[in-house]
This record gives sequence, C-alpha cells and structure tokens, in this order.
Amino acid sequence: MISLKALTKNRFKSLLIFSSITIAVMAIFLISSVSHGIIGMYSKMIKTDGDIIITQKGISDTFFSNVDILLMDKIEKIEHVSSSYAMIVGASPIGHIPIAGIYGTTANHFSHYKLSSGGYPKKNEVILGTNIAKQFSTSDINIGNREFKISGTYSSEIGFEEGGVVMNIEDAGKLFNRSASFILVSCDSPSEIDEIVKKISALDSEIEVKTTQNFVKEYNQFKIIENSSFVISFLAFAMGLMGIASVMSMIVNSRKEEFGIMRALGKSRLFIIKNLFFETLVMSVSAYLFALVLSLGILALLPHIEMLQGYVNGTLSLQISLYVLFSTILMALFGSLIPAWIASKTDPILLINQGCA
Amino acid sequence: MIKVSNISHFYGVEQVLYDLSFEIKSGEFLFLSGESGSGKSTLLSILSTLLKPSKGELLIDGESVDKISNIDYFRQSKIGFVFQFHYLINYLSVYENIALAALEDKKQNINKVLGELGIAELSSRYPNEISGGQRQRVAVARALINEPKIIFADEPTGSLDSKNSTIVYGLLQNAAKKGTTVVVASHDMQIENYATQIIRLKDGQIL
Repeated sequence: MISLKALTKNRFKSLLIFSSITIAVMAIFLISSVSHGIIGMYSKMIKTDGDIIITQKGISDTFFSNVDILLMDKIEKIEHVSSSYAMIVGASPIGHIPIAGIYGTTANHFSHYKLSSGGYPKKNEVILGTNIAKQFSTSDINIGNREFKISGTYSSEIGFEEGGVVMNIEDAGKLFNRSASFILVSCDSPSEIDEIVKKISALDSEIEVKTTQNFVKEYNQFKIIENSSFVISFLAFAMGLMGIASVMSMIVNSRKEEFGIMRALGKSRLFIIKNLFFETLVMSVSAYLFALVLSLGILALLPHIEMLQGYVNGTLSLQISLYVLFSTILMALFGSLIPAWIASKTDPILLINQGCA
Repeated sequence: MIKVSNISHFYGVEQVLYDLSFEIKSGEFLFLSGESGSGKSTLLSILSTLLKPSKGELLIDGESVDKISNIDYFRQSKIGFVFQFHYLINYLSVYENIALAALEDKKQNINKVLGELGIAELSSRYPNEISGGQRQRVAVARALINEPKIIFADEPTGSLDSKNSTIVYGLLQNAAKKGTTVVVASHDMQIENYATQIIRLKDGQIL
C-alpha cells in the first residue's frame, strides 16, 4: 500500500525505472526470441524431413560441407531406409538483391515446397519463395552470373525459405561447386536408427552421420547463435540493472527524510528494504508485461517487413517468457539491493539535527 | 522511568556532554532548555534511543537500553516523537501517517485519537492540504497512538504561531497528566508554564 502510493508520488523517477526495465526486457525478449526463431526454423527444416543427416566429416557448417550425392544409391539399399534426399544450401546475389538463400535439392524433395504458381524447376529453372518473388516481375533471373528461368513460386512454413530460391541440385552443384551439402535419410523403423547410422558411417570414411536430433543439439552454428544471444541478453540485463540501481539511488536520496521518519517511528530496517523491493518489483512486473506486449507486436511485424525477406523470425515460447520474467525479477532485486540497504541505514537523528534544538 | 547515569558523549574528539546524571519520573513534563550548541539535541537523541552515548548508562522503565534486543519494537511501542517540522509523509493521508506508526492492536484507536485532538475531520486529507498547526497536531496524534510511556518533542512549536503553540503544549500537558512522561527540548521559555521539571544545559553540562 505504502509502496504503491510512493510510486505514484515519485511519478517521474518511477517512469525512468519503468522505461529502463522495459527497454532491457524488450532487448532480452527480442534477442532470445529471434535467436530461438532462427534455430527453430533451421532445426525444423532438418528434423521434419529426415531421421539421419550425413555431412562432410570435420566441417562444422553445412554451408561448407560437400558430400558425394552418389552415396544415396548405396544408402537406399540399407534395410529399413525408406527414402533419402540430398540438398545444397548456399547464398548468392540474386538479381538486384545482394544476398539470398539458394536451396538446391533432389527432385524427390520438391514437394516440401508448396507451389503457389507454375511448376517445379527443371534444368536451368528456379522457383521463388513468396517473399523474394515480390521483388521480381521478370520471367528470368540472374544468379551467380547465370541466367535461370522462373518456373513458379512457392510457400513454406519455414520463414527464411520464403526469402530464397529453389533449384535442382545439379544446377546448385555447378553454382557452388559441390555434390551435396548434406543427405537426409528417413527410416521406417525408429528402433533401427542407430544401426542404420553405423551402416551408413561404414560406407565412406569422409562422412559424418548423425541422427537429426543429435545434429541439431550439437550444431556449432546454433551454439554460436545461442551464446551470442546469451551475451547480448546479459548485457541488456546489466544495463537494466544499472539503470534501476542509479535511479533507485536518486529516489532513496530524495526520500531520506521519509526513511528517517520510519526509523524514528520504530520501523525496522527490513520494513524499509521490503517496501523498496516491492516498489521495484511492481515497476518491474508492469514493465515486463508492457515489454511483452511490445515484443509480441514487433515479432508479429517482422515477417511482414519486406527488407528482411522472412529471414528474421521470432518465436516467443512460454519457456522464453518465464526465463525473461525470472531475469526481470532478478534485475529488480539486484538493482534495488544496494539503494534499499542504504535507505534502511538512514539515521533518524537527521530529523533532530535538521531541527537544530 | 528514565535514569541517566554518568552519560558523556563525544563527536570525534569533541566532547559535547559531560558526565550527566538525572532521573525523570513517570508523568513528568520535563523541559530541556539551553542555547544552541548546549547539547540539547544530543541529549534528546540519547534519551530517545536514537543515539548511543559514548559513556554512561541509560535506563528506561528499569531496563538498560544497551541490553534491549529489539530496539525498533521498543521505540515503536514505548516512545513517541514530535519533531520541530511535522515530518509527516506527504503521499500518505493523515490517517495513513498515523497508521504507519501504530502497532497492529492500536490501529483501531486512530479515529478516537484524532477526535480527542479535534482533527477527526482531517482523517482523509493529505499533509499539504492542511495548515501548519493542524500538521503538528497530527504529529502529536501520531506520537500518542501507541499510548507510549514517553514522548520526546524536539522544538515542537518551532514552526508554529503562539495560538497553535498553546494548543500543542496543551496536548502534551494532557498526555503527561494521563501518565505519559513528556520530554521537550526547546528555546521557547513559554514551556516553563507547563513543565514539572526543568533541566538547563550549558556547554554539555547541567546548570
């Protein structure tokens, strides 16, 4: 009660704390959501279409991996293997766009891309994702100094695929000078997956074979994204914490007389600390809710920003929301710890000394 | 009620109180007088448990202040304060200011105390909505709410006109008549008319 009244009394300073928490929380929300979104999309792309992934041994990034596509024939002969497809993932200037994703795939994987118009690509043809298609009105397109005919457009559940182009794997191979970035294998019996992994590994000493689940867990790029996200979130947390601490110090200083009165009236130091904690907590939780709404708005807008071509998508899960709520509460408690401690030590004698009896 | 034994106090190397000893009985109205710098503020701070003396012992109600384990509760339950400036919290109403000081079982008496002091109608007003004299009466109500054994008043009329000063002294005198020990530090010699005991200080010593 006292805390809520104190907040309304110190409106300007409360607003400063509210703003610094909102900005910090929004930064944590957005960076966490976007990094989870990117990881989520790429994981989904790999996990939904296969149980096992084959990449070049010792190459940490699928962009630089080169696997012999001819392995597919041998793999499909292994018992319990139901299907396989190969893919090249790369990036290149496309027409006037400086960089966009290129997905070269075997024909048996074209159905993954839902045609919105036209037909699947034949030799020297491409289909364009919904987002990138908005930027081209011609029937031909220049990719890596080669001309391709646009045979259609497609949509995909995976945001960044809509900002790229799909072509057959042979054309992509010529563009990027490789056979396949990776091969994905589907099995008809989940219990046989480990055995199949062993059998595929035995086919070629230059390949690395993993279940898609393990691949996603261990993929270095995801770890880099996660670590970067953590570092940026931590910096935002630290900035928010310092914002709270500095404004709370100002508040405590301007309310010294009030804390002196409380101490003289016999209120304990804990009473003052608890009240200041509660004030910060109320502001923090309000700022958290406000930042949550703003972040949801921004994340909903991101896929519609043409410039981003669907590459930046965010996923705001319950887990992220709880993690950010926990961070916000920690920020509030740590940020107000020292100011509250100082406030509780206010010597009530100052009230008598000001009177100069 | 209050027993002061050989109390001295230093601020750094400067001695401000010299070996003071005296007693104040229950229901006394003590006037602590003296010039600025005589040591009144320091003695009042020590008597009200806000300041620990450098030497000597203070006994309140037979209990050595040094040995009280929960000094905050002791202060809240046994001591009331009235300061020169009302020191009410601006964002709390009159009622809430008194409730802040009140022990749980005394909160029910707030309206009764306000009534006795003739300020019941101010209950929902805020300090900046009432006059200086009314604020000081609220401060007295706050000091009385827990039915303390002692009230310490530091220049309680320092910012009031003579009419309001008389009202405040009257309220403190009534409290003393009901058995509360009242200790007032002031320059105002008008208190002599109300006091039952006077201690005059000069350069940290009792005259």
